[in-house]
Amino acid sequence: MELSESVQKGFQMLADPGSFDSNAFTLLLRAAFQSLLDAQADEAVLDHPDLKHIDPVVLKYCHAAAATYILEAGKHRADKSTLSAYLEDCKFDRERTELFCTEYQNNKNSLETLLGSIGRSLPHITDVSWRLEYQIKTNQLHKMYRPAYLVTLNVQNTDSQSYPEISFSCSMEQLQDLVGKLKDASKSLERATQL
Amino acid sequence: MLLELSEEHKEHLAFLPQVDSAVVAEFGRIAVEFLRRGANPKIYEGAARKLNVSSDTVQHGVEGLTYLLTESSKLMISELDFQDSVFVLGFSEELNKLLLQLYLDNRKEIRTILSGLAPSLPSYHNLEWRLDVQLASRSLRQQIKPAVTIKLHLNQNGDHDTKVLQTDPATLLHLVQQLEQALEEMKTNHCRRVVRNIK
Repeated sequence: MELSESVQKGFQMLADPGSFDSNAFTLLLRAAFQSLLDAQADEAVLDHPDLKHIDPVVLKYCHAAAATYILEAGKHRADKSTLSAYLEDCKFDRERTELFCTEYQNNKNSLETLLGSIGRSLPHITDVSWRLEYQIKTNQLHKMYRPAYLVTLNVQNTDSQSYPEISFSCSMEQLQDLVGKLKDASKSLERATQL
Repeated sequence: MLLELSEEHKEHLAFLPQVDSAVVAEFGRIAVEFLRRGANPKIYEGAARKLNVSSDTVQHGVEGLTYLLTESSKLMISELDFQDSVFVLGFSEELNKLLLQLYLDNRKEIRTILSGLAPSLPSYHNLEWRLDVQLASRSLRQQIKPAVTIKLHLNQNGDHDTKVLQTDPATLLHLVQQLEQALEEMKTNHCRRVVRNIK
Protein backbone atom coordinates (compact mmCIF):
# COMPACT_ATOMS: atom_id res chain seq x y z
CA MET A 1 0.00 0.00 0.00
CA GLU A 2 1.33 3.39 -0.94
CA LEU A 3 0.63 5.91 1.77
CA SER A 4 1.82 9.47 1.88
CA GLU A 5 3.55 11.25 4.68
CA SER A 6 0.46 13.25 5.54
CA VAL A 7 -1.46 10.06 6.29
CA GLN A 8 1.26 9.00 8.65
CA LYS A 9 1.39 12.41 10.33
CA GLY A 10 -2.40 12.40 10.72
CA PHE A 11 -2.30 9.03 12.39
CA GLN A 12 0.51 10.05 14.68
CA MET A 13 -1.67 12.91 15.87
CA LEU A 14 -4.55 10.51 16.34
CA ALA A 15 -2.31 8.24 18.41
CA ASP A 16 -1.53 11.00 20.86
CA PRO A 17 -3.90 10.97 23.86
CA GLY A 18 -2.97 14.59 24.48
CA SER A 19 -4.52 15.71 21.17
CA PHE A 20 -7.34 13.14 21.06
CA ASP A 21 -8.76 11.62 24.21
CA SER A 22 -10.42 8.19 23.97
CA ASN A 23 -13.87 9.59 23.25
CA ALA A 24 -12.66 12.03 20.61
CA PHE A 25 -10.65 9.28 18.92
CA THR A 26 -13.67 6.99 18.66
CA LEU A 27 -15.85 9.81 17.36
CA LEU A 28 -13.37 10.83 14.70
CA LEU A 29 -12.90 7.24 13.61
CA ARG A 30 -16.65 6.72 13.28
CA ALA A 31 -16.97 10.03 11.43
CA ALA A 32 -14.35 8.88 8.91
CA PHE A 33 -16.24 5.67 8.15
CA GLN A 34 -19.53 7.49 8.06
CA SER A 35 -18.45 10.10 5.57
CA LEU A 36 -17.17 7.38 3.24
CA LEU A 37 -20.00 4.92 3.52
CA ASP A 38 -23.11 6.84 4.37
CA ALA A 39 -24.63 8.34 1.24
CA GLN A 40 -26.47 10.95 3.26
CA ALA A 41 -23.48 12.08 5.29
CA ASP A 42 -22.79 15.78 5.08
CA GLU A 43 -20.01 18.10 6.18
CA ALA A 44 -21.49 18.31 9.66
CA VAL A 45 -20.12 14.87 10.44
CA LEU A 46 -17.31 16.47 12.43
CA ASP A 47 -19.66 18.84 14.26
CA HIS A 48 -19.98 16.75 17.39
CA PRO A 49 -19.91 18.73 20.70
CA ASP A 50 -17.20 16.37 22.08
CA LEU A 51 -14.89 17.36 19.24
CA LYS A 52 -15.37 21.10 19.63
CA HIS A 53 -12.29 21.54 21.82
CA ILE A 54 -9.94 20.33 19.12
CA ASP A 55 -8.48 22.71 16.54
CA PRO A 56 -10.67 22.32 13.39
CA VAL A 57 -7.60 22.25 11.14
CA VAL A 58 -6.25 19.29 13.09
CA LEU A 59 -9.65 17.61 12.98
CA LYS A 60 -9.88 17.91 9.21
CA TYR A 61 -6.31 16.78 8.72
CA CYS A 62 -6.76 13.66 10.82
CA HIS A 63 -10.19 12.92 9.32
CA ALA A 64 -8.67 13.07 5.84
CA ALA A 65 -5.75 10.87 6.88
CA ALA A 66 -8.09 8.27 8.36
CA ALA A 67 -10.39 8.28 5.34
CA THR A 68 -7.46 7.92 2.94
CA TYR A 69 -6.07 5.02 4.89
CA ILE A 70 -9.43 3.28 5.11
CA LEU A 71 -9.86 3.49 1.34
CA GLU A 72 -6.38 2.18 0.62
CA ALA A 73 -6.84 -0.67 3.07
CA GLY A 74 -10.18 -1.55 1.53
CA LYS A 75 -8.77 -1.43 -1.99
CA HIS A 76 -5.99 -3.85 -1.14
CA ARG A 77 -8.16 -5.99 1.12
CA ALA A 78 -5.78 -5.51 4.01
CA ASP A 79 -6.03 -8.05 6.79
CA LYS A 80 -5.81 -7.41 10.51
CA SER A 81 -2.08 -7.97 10.76
CA THR A 82 -1.35 -5.44 7.99
CA LEU A 83 -3.57 -2.89 9.72
CA SER A 84 -2.04 -3.49 13.13
CA ALA A 85 1.49 -3.27 11.79
CA TYR A 86 0.88 0.13 10.20
CA LEU A 87 -0.97 1.53 13.19
CA GLU A 88 1.71 0.42 15.59
CA ASP A 89 4.27 2.11 13.36
CA CYS A 90 2.27 5.28 13.87
CA LYS A 91 2.57 4.84 17.59
CA PHE A 92 -0.98 3.66 18.22
CA ASP A 93 -1.38 1.95 21.59
CA ARG A 94 -3.01 -1.47 21.85
CA GLU A 95 -6.42 -0.12 22.73
CA ARG A 96 -6.65 2.25 19.78
CA THR A 97 -5.33 -0.36 17.39
CA GLU A 98 -8.02 -2.79 18.55
CA LEU A 99 -10.68 -0.14 18.20
CA PHE A 100 -9.63 0.71 14.66
CA CYS A 101 -9.52 -2.93 13.63
CA THR A 102 -12.96 -3.59 15.09
CA GLU A 103 -14.49 -0.57 13.34
CA TYR A 104 -12.81 -1.63 10.12
CA GLN A 105 -14.12 -5.17 10.43
CA ASN A 106 -17.66 -3.89 11.02
CA ASN A 107 -17.57 -1.73 7.93
CA LYS A 108 -15.51 -3.99 5.69
CA ASN A 109 -18.37 -5.36 3.61
CA SER A 110 -19.93 -1.97 2.90
CA LEU A 111 -16.53 -0.59 2.05
CA GLU A 112 -15.76 -3.37 -0.42
CA THR A 113 -19.17 -3.09 -2.02
CA LEU A 114 -18.65 0.62 -2.46
CA LEU A 115 -15.21 0.22 -3.98
CA GLY A 116 -16.38 -2.58 -6.22
CA SER A 117 -19.12 -0.44 -7.66
CA ILE A 118 -16.74 2.30 -8.79
CA GLY A 119 -15.44 1.96 -12.26
CA ARG A 120 -16.39 1.83 -15.91
CA SER A 121 -18.14 -1.07 -17.42
CA LEU A 122 -20.34 -1.83 -20.36
CA PRO A 123 -23.98 -0.81 -20.22
CA HIS A 124 -25.64 -3.24 -17.88
CA ILE A 125 -28.94 -4.97 -18.60
CA THR A 126 -31.21 -4.72 -15.61
CA ASP A 127 -34.55 -5.94 -16.86
CA VAL A 128 -36.55 -6.96 -19.89
CA SER A 129 -40.13 -6.33 -20.90
CA TRP A 130 -41.97 -7.82 -23.84
CA ARG A 131 -45.12 -7.36 -25.83
CA LEU A 132 -46.85 -9.88 -28.06
CA GLU A 133 -48.87 -8.43 -30.93
CA TYR A 134 -50.79 -9.78 -33.86
CA GLN A 135 -50.25 -7.66 -36.95
CA ILE A 136 -53.29 -7.46 -39.20
CA LYS A 137 -52.64 -4.61 -41.56
CA THR A 138 -50.56 -1.56 -42.42
CA ASN A 139 -51.50 1.20 -44.80
CA GLN A 140 -49.31 -0.48 -47.38
CA LEU A 141 -50.32 -4.04 -46.79
CA HIS A 142 -53.68 -5.47 -45.81
CA LYS A 143 -54.50 -8.95 -44.52
CA MET A 144 -51.19 -9.60 -42.87
CA TYR A 145 -52.00 -11.91 -39.88
CA ARG A 146 -48.63 -12.31 -38.32
CA PRO A 147 -47.66 -12.51 -34.64
CA ALA A 148 -44.67 -10.44 -33.58
CA TYR A 149 -42.84 -9.67 -30.36
CA LEU A 150 -41.53 -6.35 -29.17
CA VAL A 151 -38.74 -6.73 -26.62
CA THR A 152 -37.32 -3.90 -24.55
CA LEU A 153 -34.13 -4.25 -22.56
CA ASN A 154 -33.70 -1.85 -19.66
CA VAL A 155 -30.10 -0.80 -19.54
CA GLN A 156 -28.10 1.13 -17.00
CA ASN A 157 -24.94 3.05 -17.79
CA THR A 158 -22.53 3.09 -14.88
CA ASP A 159 -20.90 6.41 -15.52
CA SER A 160 -23.64 8.60 -16.89
CA GLN A 161 -26.39 7.28 -14.65
CA SER A 162 -28.65 7.36 -17.66
CA TYR A 163 -31.20 4.67 -18.39
CA PRO A 164 -31.42 4.19 -22.11
CA GLU A 165 -33.61 1.43 -23.43
CA ILE A 166 -32.96 -0.91 -26.29
CA SER A 167 -36.07 -2.00 -28.13
CA PHE A 168 -36.35 -4.35 -31.02
CA SER A 169 -38.96 -6.44 -32.74
CA CYS A 170 -38.68 -10.10 -33.56
CA SER A 171 -40.70 -12.97 -34.90
CA MET A 172 -41.42 -16.07 -32.89
CA GLU A 173 -38.54 -17.95 -34.53
CA GLN A 174 -36.14 -15.12 -33.81
CA LEU A 175 -37.21 -14.97 -30.17
CA GLN A 176 -36.69 -18.72 -29.89
CA ASP A 177 -33.20 -18.22 -31.27
CA LEU A 178 -32.52 -15.45 -28.78
CA VAL A 179 -33.80 -17.44 -25.81
CA GLY A 180 -31.87 -20.50 -26.95
CA LYS A 181 -28.63 -18.56 -27.01
CA LEU A 182 -29.26 -17.00 -23.59
CA LYS A 183 -29.97 -20.44 -22.19
CA ASP A 184 -26.66 -21.69 -23.60
CA ALA A 185 -24.93 -18.85 -21.82
CA SER A 186 -26.58 -19.60 -18.51
CA LYS A 187 -25.83 -23.33 -18.80
CA SER A 188 -22.22 -22.49 -19.46
CA LEU A 189 -22.24 -20.27 -16.42
CA GLU A 190 -23.63 -23.08 -14.28
CA ARG A 191 -20.96 -25.46 -15.50
CA ALA A 192 -18.24 -22.92 -14.86
CA THR A 193 -19.37 -22.40 -11.27
CA GLN A 194 -19.19 -26.12 -10.62
CA LEU A 195 -15.54 -26.40 -11.59
CA MET B 1 -63.61 -6.71 -53.20
CA LEU B 2 -63.18 -4.89 -56.45
CA LEU B 3 -60.44 -2.48 -57.32
CA GLU B 4 -61.55 1.04 -58.04
CA LEU B 5 -59.60 2.39 -60.98
CA SER B 6 -59.56 6.14 -61.53
CA GLU B 7 -60.12 7.66 -64.95
CA GLU B 8 -56.51 8.69 -65.20
CA HIS B 9 -55.41 5.19 -64.31
CA LYS B 10 -57.70 3.69 -66.97
CA GLU B 11 -56.25 6.12 -69.51
CA HIS B 12 -52.73 5.01 -68.71
CA LEU B 13 -53.64 1.38 -68.97
CA ALA B 14 -55.43 1.99 -72.29
CA PHE B 15 -52.02 1.84 -73.93
CA LEU B 16 -51.63 -1.84 -73.16
CA PRO B 17 -54.06 -3.32 -75.74
CA GLN B 18 -52.25 -1.35 -78.46
CA VAL B 19 -49.15 -3.46 -78.15
CA ASP B 20 -48.76 -7.21 -78.42
CA SER B 21 -48.60 -9.57 -75.46
CA ALA B 22 -44.84 -9.94 -75.50
CA VAL B 23 -44.56 -6.21 -74.93
CA VAL B 24 -47.12 -6.30 -72.12
CA ALA B 25 -45.18 -9.11 -70.48
CA GLU B 26 -42.04 -7.01 -70.81
CA PHE B 27 -43.82 -4.05 -69.24
CA GLY B 28 -44.84 -6.33 -66.42
CA ARG B 29 -41.23 -7.26 -65.86
CA ILE B 30 -40.22 -3.58 -65.88
CA ALA B 31 -43.01 -2.80 -63.41
CA VAL B 32 -41.80 -5.39 -60.91
CA GLU B 33 -38.23 -4.22 -61.37
CA PHE B 34 -39.48 -0.70 -60.65
CA LEU B 35 -40.84 -1.94 -57.35
CA ARG B 36 -37.64 -3.73 -56.53
CA ARG B 37 -35.18 -1.07 -57.47
CA GLY B 38 -36.85 2.16 -58.47
CA ALA B 39 -37.55 3.74 -61.84
CA ASN B 40 -35.08 3.72 -64.71
CA PRO B 41 -35.95 6.45 -67.26
CA LYS B 42 -33.54 5.05 -69.85
CA ILE B 43 -35.62 1.92 -70.18
CA TYR B 44 -38.69 4.00 -70.95
CA GLU B 45 -36.85 5.89 -73.67
CA GLY B 46 -35.53 2.70 -75.26
CA ALA B 47 -38.96 1.10 -75.28
CA ALA B 48 -40.61 4.30 -76.60
CA ARG B 49 -38.26 4.40 -79.58
CA LYS B 50 -38.85 0.77 -80.46
CA LEU B 51 -42.63 1.11 -80.23
CA ASN B 52 -42.71 4.49 -81.92
CA VAL B 53 -44.56 6.29 -79.16
CA SER B 54 -43.62 9.02 -76.68
CA SER B 55 -41.66 7.96 -73.61
CA ASP B 56 -44.42 9.50 -71.48
CA THR B 57 -46.88 7.00 -72.84
CA VAL B 58 -44.57 4.14 -71.99
CA GLN B 59 -43.96 5.53 -68.54
CA HIS B 60 -47.66 5.91 -67.84
CA GLY B 61 -48.29 2.44 -69.10
CA VAL B 62 -45.69 0.94 -66.79
CA GLU B 63 -46.80 3.03 -63.84
CA GLY B 64 -50.41 2.11 -64.43
CA LEU B 65 -49.46 -1.53 -64.46
CA THR B 66 -47.37 -1.10 -61.33
CA TYR B 67 -50.20 0.54 -59.48
CA LEU B 68 -52.60 -2.18 -60.59
CA LEU B 69 -50.25 -4.86 -59.27
CA THR B 70 -49.46 -3.14 -55.97
CA GLU B 71 -53.07 -2.31 -55.12
CA SER B 72 -54.16 -5.85 -55.91
CA SER B 73 -51.31 -7.32 -53.87
CA LYS B 74 -51.88 -4.95 -50.96
CA LEU B 75 -55.54 -5.92 -50.70
CA MET B 76 -54.78 -9.52 -51.52
CA ILE B 77 -57.80 -9.67 -53.79
CA SER B 78 -58.96 -13.00 -55.08
CA GLU B 79 -58.52 -14.16 -58.68
CA LEU B 80 -62.19 -13.61 -59.37
CA ASP B 81 -62.15 -10.08 -57.98
CA PHE B 82 -59.06 -9.26 -59.99
CA GLN B 83 -60.66 -10.51 -63.18
CA ASP B 84 -63.82 -8.54 -62.47
CA SER B 85 -61.85 -5.38 -61.73
CA VAL B 86 -59.87 -5.64 -64.94
CA PHE B 87 -62.98 -6.49 -66.93
CA VAL B 88 -64.17 -2.88 -66.83
CA LEU B 89 -61.15 -1.88 -68.89
CA GLY B 90 -62.58 -3.75 -71.86
CA PHE B 91 -59.43 -5.60 -72.73
CA SER B 92 -59.21 -8.78 -74.78
CA GLU B 93 -59.56 -12.18 -73.13
CA GLU B 94 -55.88 -12.85 -73.81
CA LEU B 95 -54.73 -9.60 -72.20
CA ASN B 96 -56.90 -10.20 -69.15
CA LYS B 97 -55.38 -13.63 -68.70
CA LEU B 98 -51.89 -12.19 -69.03
CA LEU B 99 -52.59 -9.54 -66.41
CA LEU B 100 -54.03 -12.12 -64.02
CA GLN B 101 -50.96 -14.30 -64.43
CA LEU B 102 -48.73 -11.31 -63.85
CA TYR B 103 -50.61 -10.61 -60.63
CA LEU B 104 -50.49 -14.17 -59.31
CA ASP B 105 -46.85 -14.71 -60.20
CA ASN B 106 -45.62 -11.57 -58.50
CA ARG B 107 -48.06 -11.13 -55.65
CA LYS B 108 -45.91 -12.74 -52.97
CA GLU B 109 -42.81 -10.77 -53.83
CA ILE B 110 -44.71 -7.50 -54.06
CA ARG B 111 -46.24 -8.10 -50.64
CA THR B 112 -42.78 -8.70 -49.21
CA ILE B 113 -41.59 -5.41 -50.69
CA LEU B 114 -44.65 -3.60 -49.33
CA SER B 115 -44.14 -5.05 -45.87
CA GLY B 116 -40.78 -3.31 -45.76
CA LEU B 117 -42.55 0.04 -45.99
CA ALA B 118 -44.26 -0.30 -42.64
CA PRO B 119 -42.98 1.72 -39.68
CA SER B 120 -40.48 -0.50 -38.03
CA LEU B 121 -38.19 -0.81 -35.11
CA PRO B 122 -34.79 -2.39 -35.23
CA SER B 123 -35.27 -6.10 -35.53
CA TYR B 124 -33.33 -8.92 -33.99
CA HIS B 125 -30.65 -10.48 -36.13
CA ASN B 126 -28.25 -12.40 -33.89
CA LEU B 127 -26.80 -12.67 -30.40
CA GLU B 128 -23.27 -13.52 -29.35
CA TRP B 129 -22.26 -14.05 -25.75
CA ARG B 130 -19.16 -14.46 -23.64
CA LEU B 131 -18.54 -15.31 -20.00
CA ASP B 132 -16.21 -12.99 -18.13
CA VAL B 133 -14.93 -12.84 -14.58
CA GLN B 134 -13.68 -9.54 -13.26
CA LEU B 135 -10.63 -10.12 -11.09
CA ALA B 136 -9.61 -6.61 -10.09
CA SER B 137 -10.17 -2.97 -10.82
CA ARG B 138 -8.40 0.25 -10.03
CA SER B 139 -10.51 0.69 -6.92
CA LEU B 140 -10.70 -2.90 -5.65
CA ARG B 141 -8.31 -5.83 -5.90
CA GLN B 142 -8.90 -9.55 -5.55
CA GLN B 143 -12.42 -9.71 -6.93
CA ILE B 144 -14.37 -12.57 -8.40
CA LYS B 145 -17.22 -10.94 -10.26
CA PRO B 146 -18.83 -13.07 -12.98
CA ALA B 147 -20.53 -11.32 -15.86
CA VAL B 148 -21.99 -12.22 -19.21
CA THR B 149 -21.01 -9.99 -22.11
CA ILE B 150 -23.50 -9.91 -24.94
CA LYS B 151 -23.27 -8.59 -28.49
CA LEU B 152 -26.72 -7.97 -29.90
CA HIS B 153 -27.00 -7.65 -33.68
CA LEU B 154 -29.94 -5.63 -34.92
CA ASN B 155 -31.18 -4.65 -38.38
CA GLN B 156 -33.08 -1.55 -39.28
CA ASN B 157 -33.96 -0.58 -42.83
CA GLY B 158 -30.99 -2.48 -44.10
CA ASP B 159 -28.58 -0.96 -41.60
CA HIS B 160 -26.80 -3.35 -39.34
CA ASP B 161 -26.26 -2.17 -35.78
CA THR B 162 -24.54 -3.94 -32.90
CA LYS B 163 -24.87 -3.23 -29.22
CA VAL B 164 -22.42 -4.56 -26.67
CA LEU B 165 -24.01 -5.08 -23.28
CA GLN B 166 -23.32 -6.85 -20.06
CA THR B 167 -25.35 -8.55 -17.39
CA ASP B 168 -24.87 -10.52 -14.19
CA PRO B 169 -25.80 -14.19 -13.73
CA ALA B 170 -28.95 -13.48 -11.74
CA THR B 171 -30.31 -11.07 -14.33
CA LEU B 172 -29.46 -13.54 -17.09
CA LEU B 173 -31.64 -16.19 -15.47
CA HIS B 174 -34.38 -13.61 -15.06
CA LEU B 175 -34.16 -12.67 -18.74
CA VAL B 176 -34.42 -16.29 -19.82
CA GLN B 177 -37.40 -16.87 -17.57
CA GLN B 178 -39.26 -13.77 -18.75
CA LEU B 179 -38.68 -14.44 -22.44
CA GLU B 180 -39.67 -18.07 -22.11
CA GLN B 181 -42.94 -16.86 -20.65
CA ALA B 182 -43.33 -14.62 -23.69
CA LEU B 183 -42.92 -17.61 -26.00
CA GLU B 184 -45.37 -19.67 -23.94
CA GLU B 185 -47.98 -16.98 -24.41
CA MET B 186 -48.44 -17.86 -28.09
CA LYS B 187 -49.57 -21.31 -27.05
CA THR B 188 -52.33 -20.15 -24.74
CA ASN B 189 -56.00 -20.57 -25.61
CA HIS B 190 -56.50 -16.85 -25.85
CA CYS B 191 -53.86 -16.38 -28.51
CA ARG B 192 -54.91 -19.46 -30.41
CA ARG B 193 -58.47 -18.20 -30.52
CA VAL B 194 -57.40 -14.82 -31.85
CA VAL B 195 -55.21 -16.37 -34.54
CA ARG B 196 -58.00 -18.71 -35.56
CA ASN B 197 -60.70 -16.10 -35.75
CA ILE B 198 -59.06 -13.06 -37.25
CA LYS B 199 -58.61 -13.79 -40.92
